[in-house]
Amino acid sequence: MRKLKQNAISWLIMLPSIALFAFFLWTPLLQSVRMSFYRTRNIELVEFVGLSNYISIFGRQEFRQALANTFSYTFWSLLLGFFVPILLALVIGETVRGRGIFRTIAYLPNILPGLAAMILWSAFFSAEDTGVINIILGHLGFESRTFLTEVNLVIPIIVFISTWRGAGATALIYMAGLAGINPELYEAATIDGAGIWRRIRYITGPAIFNLGSTLLILQIITVFQIMYEPLVLTGGGPDNASMSLMLLMWNYAFGGAMDFGRASAVAVVTAVILLGFTVLYSIINKRKIEWD
Amino acid sequence: MKNRLCQLLLVAVLAALCVALVACGESSDSPTGVGSAPVVNVAPPEEIAEISIDVIDPYLTATITLGNWPPDTAPEHELALFEGFRQIMNAQFPNVTVVPAFFSYTLSSYLPMARGGTAPTLFQPPFTDPQLLIQQGLVADVTDALAEFGLLEKFSPSYIDLLGDENGRIFGLPRDGYVLGMHINIDLFREAGLMTEDGLPMVPRTLQEMAEKGRIIREETGRAGLVFPASETFGGWLFTNIAWNFGATGEYALQRQEEDGRWVANFTSPPMIEAMYFMRSLRWEYDILNADATTTNWAGTHNILGTGMAAMNLAANDSVAEPTAGRGLPVDSFALIPFPAGPGGSYALTGGTAFMFSPDTTHDEAVASLHFLNLIGVLPFVTDDTIAAQRAGAAAARDRGVPVLPGIPAWNDEGFIAMQRAVADEFSNVDMRLYDDFFNSFVDGSITLRGEEPVFTQQMYRDLTAAIQRIITRENADVLTALQQAEERFQEFLDDEINR
Repeated sequence: MRKLKQNAISWLIMLPSIALFAFFLWTPLLQSVRMSFYRTRNIELVEFVGLSNYISIFGRQEFRQALANTFSYTFWSLLLGFFVPILLALVIGETVRGRGIFRTIAYLPNILPGLAAMILWSAFFSAEDTGVINIILGHLGFESRTFLTEVNLVIPIIVFISTWRGAGATALIYMAGLAGINPELYEAATIDGAGIWRRIRYITGPAIFNLGSTLLILQIITVFQIMYEPLVLTGGGPDNASMSLMLLMWNYAFGGAMDFGRASAVAVVTAVILLGFTVLYSIINKRKIEWD
Repeated sequence: MKNRLCQLLLVAVLAALCVALVACGESSDSPTGVGSAPVVNVAPPEEIAEISIDVIDPYLTATITLGNWPPDTAPEHELALFEGFRQIMNAQFPNVTVVPAFFSYTLSSYLPMARGGTAPTLFQPPFTDPQLLIQQGLVADVTDALAEFGLLEKFSPSYIDLLGDENGRIFGLPRDGYVLGMHINIDLFREAGLMTEDGLPMVPRTLQEMAEKGRIIREETGRAGLVFPASETFGGWLFTNIAWNFGATGEYALQRQEEDGRWVANFTSPPMIEAMYFMRSLRWEYDILNADATTTNWAGTHNILGTGMAAMNLAANDSVAEPTAGRGLPVDSFALIPFPAGPGGSYALTGGTAFMFSPDTTHDEAVASLHFLNLIGVLPFVTDDTIAAQRAGAAAARDRGVPVLPGIPAWNDEGFIAMQRAVADEFSNVDMRLYDDFFNSFVDGSITLRGEEPVFTQQMYRDLTAAIQRIITRENADVLTALQQAEERFQEFLDDEINR
């Protein structure tokens, strides 16, 4: 009876969270899955159409391009963005004086509202004479570039901007991980003659491996849902070169047809791909633990 | 101790939840969060004092949120004008509460507001959207209020088609029309030596002249000859008019309906290919486009023209305030000319803006909103009060540096049109030689007015914009392939949405 009473109190404490999760997360999520099987009139369900929305989106050229672009975003974000926070954490961790200031500076871009940050960067990468980077290039004697209008550059630039914005916060997590490493390990390694690279390879690397793996999968999940960055900077252009799955979803829903059925189908496909990544990560992680 | 902590926590959490639920249940005076008018430091134009403040209907009771209110950041002359209108409305209808609620309509922002019950009572969508809003059930039926106001008999049949459904119910009313032309920054024409002896800019009459004059401007000033917004849907919108002038009409129209009712995209006709080659030449041969064309949106074009970064902009009469009062270009450095003709014709896109009502608008709210529209002089009635309102509006526009021009009326009411013209003449602040060609072109027939293509126009513009982006960002891009891809994309869309 006493246990039941204790459990009841626990459930009561959790109730607000469960209510909020159910209202803001689970209900829309399930509604979205349901909506993907219907023809819709804005957000109202009109007619059950089975897999027709899925067949339709897979048949569309723009969906296939958005899917390929989204993988491209992920590739570039891993190439440009995954190691930056680790480096940042290591450098700040090694800093003796003013560590707090550097930590704050690294985190500062996160405080800026996302849209404001994108508008700021669009001024930097403007192809006009007033673009900040073009002004600098001009002073250095280089020709102006068009940046966001170049098909091959647009995704790396957007990923660079996203990395600038998010790296500081991730670096803080790595710093917390680094702080947990026993300093005696470093002292012992130093006495044994290990240089900085060997210390990183044999002590720091293994210590933050699990943390890094988790952040990697989180990064893939986040980047796969990239939307407002290309929306503000390029609108998905030029020629759909920066169109992501989530931006395509937004276009289906709000771009003129109010086709929430197809928009939901895109969302579900994205979720399924991410679920696949997460399962893969869990399997690899489980095997690694078994090997260890 | 632990139990006590748990109990305290529980109480705190439940209290927070109660507060949150109460907050959710509370109604707000202003659905859009704009509850009161901003403080204005200038007086309304003196012309507004000529409007009667006698009580018209003491029994009409409603609260109306007006999305056509100027934003807090608008020039004080405009805010003062609307504040003046609000005070008069309060006097004429003591039980009607007017809530200023500036709302810059876009489909994406309107949809959640309409579904969530927070859309303003009155808002202003462009003519491309009313049919979609009606079909989606996102606007109120105001037929009875319009009939009560004596407006139904003033509707032209084309507006009944635009703003009504198949049952003859009407969901809005036209505000004004626009005709696409070209905005000119005269300062750059002067700097490039493109001025006549009369001191007028040597503006282009044809698309070919536009390219050539643009090149001269680029060479002489280093600025873009033409600002072109090749982003979102804007590029396709303007390109459609260029394509018409290359002959993409009739059998070569961008959309056509087959005998079996199926809609077909037609982007690979000879005139379309020729038009896209012309578009390509603007970038790679004449080099007259702004460098950021693929990321420039509609507001961006006005920034670029108004601040002297480009000399020409394909834009309409309804946006002359943007580069002038909005961006600081003096009215005597600005001109509006007809859309340049092409080898296949001389067409100009015509469209406009409507007034529509949120889906939960009641009859009394619709009537009160119509009274407000009448008060500000946009309904086709000529009385001393509407003349005073029109004069006050023109005075406020003149005071903030907007070219005061005759409008393109949405109502076929000769008395109302004559009154609008008389007011525009009285408050004119421009050299009409810089505008006459534009306004005469569709009266004397030198330009043929043409409405938007019939189905899913915004999606068509989006697909054409992608083709334009391809052409102007890749020098070796194949024009036909770009058009074929756009056509394929739009056909897939048509097959999914209306051909199924």
